[in-house]
Amino acid sequence: MISSIKKISFTLAMTLLCGTYVSSAQAEPVSIGAVIPLSGASATIGADQLRGIEIATEEVNAKGGVLGQPLKVIVEDSGGRPPSALDAARKLVTVNNVPLVIGEYSSGNTLPIGQYLVQQKRIHLNPASTSGLLRDLGEGHFSLVGLDHVTTKFAADDIMAQGWRKAVIIAPNNAFGQGVIEQFTKHFKAAGGQVLASIAYPEGQTTYRRELQQLAQAKPDVFVYSAYSREGAVINREASELGLNETPWYGYLLSMSTADSDPKTKQGQYGLEVNYIGPNGGAYQDAYKKKYGEDFRTTWNGYTYDAVKIAAAAINKAGSTDPAAIGAALKELGKGYEGATGQITFDANRMRDSQPYLKMKVDNGKLVLR
Amino acid sequence: MFEFLIHVSTMACLFGLLALSLNLQVGFAGLVNFGHIALFGCGTYGAAIAFANQWGPVAGLLLGGAAAALLALAFARLGRNLGADYWGIATLSIAEILRTFATNEQWLTGGAQGIHGLPMLFGSLPAPWGPLATLGLCAVLLAVCWALCQRLVNGRYGLALKLLREEPQLASSLGYDLAALRRTPLVISGLIAAVAGFLFAHYTTFVGPDQLYSAETFLIWSMLIVGGLGNNLGAVAGAFLMQFLLAYVPFVKDALGLPSEFVAAMRLTLVGGGLLAFLLWRTQGLIPERIGGRHA
Repeated sequence: MISSIKKISFTLAMTLLCGTYVSSAQAEPVSIGAVIPLSGASATIGADQLRGIEIATEEVNAKGGVLGQPLKVIVEDSGGRPPSALDAARKLVTVNNVPLVIGEYSSGNTLPIGQYLVQQKRIHLNPASTSGLLRDLGEGHFSLVGLDHVTTKFAADDIMAQGWRKAVIIAPNNAFGQGVIEQFTKHFKAAGGQVLASIAYPEGQTTYRRELQQLAQAKPDVFVYSAYSREGAVINREASELGLNETPWYGYLLSMSTADSDPKTKQGQYGLEVNYIGPNGGAYQDAYKKKYGEDFRTTWNGYTYDAVKIAAAAINKAGSTDPAAIGAALKELGKGYEGATGQITFDANRMRDSQPYLKMKVDNGKLVLR
Repeated sequence: MFEFLIHVSTMACLFGLLALSLNLQVGFAGLVNFGHIALFGCGTYGAAIAFANQWGPVAGLLLGGAAAALLALAFARLGRNLGADYWGIATLSIAEILRTFATNEQWLTGGAQGIHGLPMLFGSLPAPWGPLATLGLCAVLLAVCWALCQRLVNGRYGLALKLLREEPQLASSLGYDLAALRRTPLVISGLIAAVAGFLFAHYTTFVGPDQLYSAETFLIWSMLIVGGLGNNLGAVAGAFLMQFLLAYVPFVKDALGLPSEFVAAMRLTLVGGGLLAFLLWRTQGLIPERIGGRHA
């Protein structure tokens, strides 16, 4: 046993050595890194994030790459757990010496790797996490996704405009959902509305009847909800069984919330959606469909796509791979960059401060503008 | 590469501590604990709560240790009337309850968003020295805990623990107090796990409920099974082997030009397949337990 382990480790060491030799003989590409959950609980989302990265890398390289060299994105698996995410970030910095890292999905992993990258004076692009805590990470951290206070304000104003004053809200019991509930409640109150009840539901349950009945007792004007597609299907089915869909429903990230729902159970729902149909978004949507033969699987691929594109643009603008220069270039680009997820502008803390949203509703199983 | 090696070694030391502490329960005393990660969580949240309230890291360590000791006592109390397998299930559910508690009590734990920004240990030292000092501290603690565990399991007390594992009724008939025999190793291993949690929290600078999924307990279990249940050296060896394998898979991918999904698949295969291979072909692990040790 021991001797066979020795043999295996020897073979591994040799492959490593040979691999390093071969790669150094080729033209040196410009490398950036990405840490995404390719295994673990969020693996579906990670796989979709990877698609965005792939399309963007192909496009950048088709147009001549960066600094005259091909662009390479070294993608590492975070396993959806902080220790592995940190392993991945440290490998990218200390071994691959990349100036910029994109990642991760869940705030619990994005925060520690962001903190590490900022400490190492590298650039960190957040393509998914919406936790308000990211605001404090410091110089070098950039968020490409509107943090939850931006989106919830839009939702609160939109709901007030419909004349609905008394709301209840249900969202998943994780960093995303808790942030949405907290921020929505704050903005809806500020706009003059009332949040009668809020529930953070545990993911993966087979029924949410109890939660829905509890919310219904408050007799709201509108049910506000956000759900991953599978739980969204359960919630919508049970809400219609309980007759709750006679009250208006408002989906926060409507396409994600209703993706798997029966058309009958989601008919007439209102909601907001991230704008993909900007000047560059349409082309991206077509490229995605063409390459993978289906519609967007989750809402997160567009952000990693934008992350790679804006990183490449920043490296070209900076004329070097020095992290400080890339950071300065990102700030310049962030005064109005046309991305697939709409125009990207950063505030003083390098957070995306506005995001174009679409006011949508469900009609005959499809999302249409209202 | 050197810095990465330091990082992986530090993580390996921390998981070594966790493997040692679980080994004390499972390997020697036969306490099938499926909720071990909760004891680790006491350490991480002790550090985080002390940080959030600005009580300082020493208070954090004490808080984490106290919480872990109390939880260990609760585990031991629970074990009095339950068979080993039922006790295992009970520990699993207690760990899940605590994780749910941490997810929901936002005022105390920061909820699902956790608590971030904990100071790094030796964060003020310049580049290679800070991480090196952290590694040094973790390695020293690992050595101390290893020596402590060795001392505990060798000699009469160790024999009593093994008797508890093999023949609890016989132990009882020989006049051993089974409740006390369960309690002591649980509390000691709880304290070791809490120290690991405290160091982990200050190393990753972030504490959240996602770190406490039961999958982490089973990862420590697989380290034990690969390394060798009932052998302290085996436990540490298993932790180092697993940690290094998991951390170095990406390099194989880079060297062979394989797609990134390979890493994800390979990690799952390594943990699952490796575990299965050992269970099938080498149940005693890399370094088997010594039957009839020096003092027997």
